[in-house]
Amino acid sequence: MNTQLNLKRGIRTTLFTLMVILFMIVILLPIYYIFLTAFAPSGKLFTVPLTYVPRSLAIARFEDIFGALPIARYMLNSTLLATFSTILALTVSLLAAYAIARLNFPGANLVMIGLLASSMLPGTATVIPLFQMYQTLNLMDTLHGLLILYGSALLPITTWVLVSFLRQVPVEIEDAAKVDGASFFPLLWRIVLPVIRPGIATMFLINFIIGWNEFFTPLIFARGAGVKVITMALSEAQVIGARSEFDVSWGNMSAVAILTTIPVFIITLIFQRQIVEGITSGVFK
Amino acid sequence: MLSRQNLSTRRILLAWLLVTPVVLWRLLTSVYPFLRTFYISFFDNSPVRRTFDFVGLDNYMALTRDANVDATLTFTLFFTVTSVALQVVLGLAIAELLNQRFKMRNFTRAVNLLPWAMAPIVIATAARWIFHQDYGLINDIIWRLSGERPLWLVNFTTARFAVTITDVWKNTAFLAVIFLSGLQGIPLELYEAAKIDGADGVRSYWYVTLPLLMPLIISMMIFTAIFRVLTFEIVYALTNGGPGTATSLLSYLVYLEGFRVLNFGYASAIAMLLFFIVLVVGVVGYGFLRRAWERL
Repeated sequence: MNTQLNLKRGIRTTLFTLMVILFMIVILLPIYYIFLTAFAPSGKLFTVPLTYVPRSLAIARFEDIFGALPIARYMLNSTLLATFSTILALTVSLLAAYAIARLNFPGANLVMIGLLASSMLPGTATVIPLFQMYQTLNLMDTLHGLLILYGSALLPITTWVLVSFLRQVPVEIEDAAKVDGASFFPLLWRIVLPVIRPGIATMFLINFIIGWNEFFTPLIFARGAGVKVITMALSEAQVIGARSEFDVSWGNMSAVAILTTIPVFIITLIFQRQIVEGITSGVFK
Repeated sequence: MLSRQNLSTRRILLAWLLVTPVVLWRLLTSVYPFLRTFYISFFDNSPVRRTFDFVGLDNYMALTRDANVDATLTFTLFFTVTSVALQVVLGLAIAELLNQRFKMRNFTRAVNLLPWAMAPIVIATAARWIFHQDYGLINDIIWRLSGERPLWLVNFTTARFAVTITDVWKNTAFLAVIFLSGLQGIPLELYEAAKIDGADGVRSYWYVTLPLLMPLIISMMIFTAIFRVLTFEIVYALTNGGPGTATSLLSYLVYLEGFRVLNFGYASAIAMLLFFIVLVVGVVGYGFLRRAWERL
């Protein structure tokens, strides 16, 4: 009787472990394959069957792409755009979120629903007039022009999440500060900001990742090398040294993919809990 | 009395002052351009031919005769239904997996987030390599198992599945995270009560977990479906909408018409069709959601 129960439990544990292993393989193997391609010595890339454990690694492809493309500039632009769009979006979203969560004004709900509805407007349904506007206003190929669009995309969700974080914090602390006669900005800075710092940090991480991964906006609005971003280097790297249209350098593409992915992986692996909290608070609260 | 009224007027003024930057920013970069897209859709507007002529409903009439639009709508339906179904089922399964106690659970949860964190364009571009007929990862595995090397991106059906698989690989993590959080919100007493009634394992999942998660599942289905309709990068980098127009999606079509053909008027009409589909998905989905809430 007892051995039968143990056997049953043993089978269940083994099955479960197999499921976890299968899950890990499905997620990690493609990523490992890109890594392998990026570091494969030339000549070792096209082997049938594939060699999963390489005998040697090479950084030649990274030298190639840094030699042929302004990769450092692209990465700098990605960093600048992701960082500053995040900071700007957080700042104005915090102001709006405070008003919505605390000041109880007519129209607060309208603003919330309007933000949500506007986030459902597809980017493709706004891009043509924006393109025309940007040409007339001379905002094409400028970092500040891109910053406006990057930031705009972040506002609805950021405001929603910050409102939900603010509503979880008791109002009493702020009331006490108000009695002391603290005026608005010191109140926001000294009393409100410290208590919702976790929420701000979470949204900083998520927004940075979204900004870093942006592709469609720069594809349309950034055409000069000075304002291009790292996600645009994927297709450019494929054709380095190409002799024909069909000659695609998968090694170079993979090298750019690795460069694009490492920063977001570091953030995700370190701040897993915060990111999960941010994702779920956008949905549940 | 007077001073109280003053205070409340001041508070309302302050509130509007604080929301103005967000509202203005969104109005200028989202709402106004959207209305303008609607407006342009009634014009023959091309920067190449230098035209801006009112043509009434011509662009919309052209939509109904455009074979590309037909093909695009067919694939949009296939892609949305298949991808949402797979993501919901796999998302629920992964959430269940990540909710168990085991060694390395935290690490497994972090790994689950990796596809979510990667740029869509990176995954889409790399997927073209991974689906490569001779040297790709997927065909290597299939070849080891069966000796076959299917032509993924050349055939109609397989290309459609390649796009769907890539999308599912990238986006299921997000649903899993949300379903996991939903699972953690179900009180344990309910499972204990179910156990007393003789339901455990599969049956308690069927009779306790699923009904309680249903509103969440439905709202995530709406959300996921909307974002499937809007998908751009995967099609742009993995298949270019091909072979032929087998994997074309509306966002990609807007991009082609607007920024390759430079036909702004017609591209705007396609964009409005896209918006209309998103609206229908949202409204129909909301109806289902309300019914699910009532049943709870």
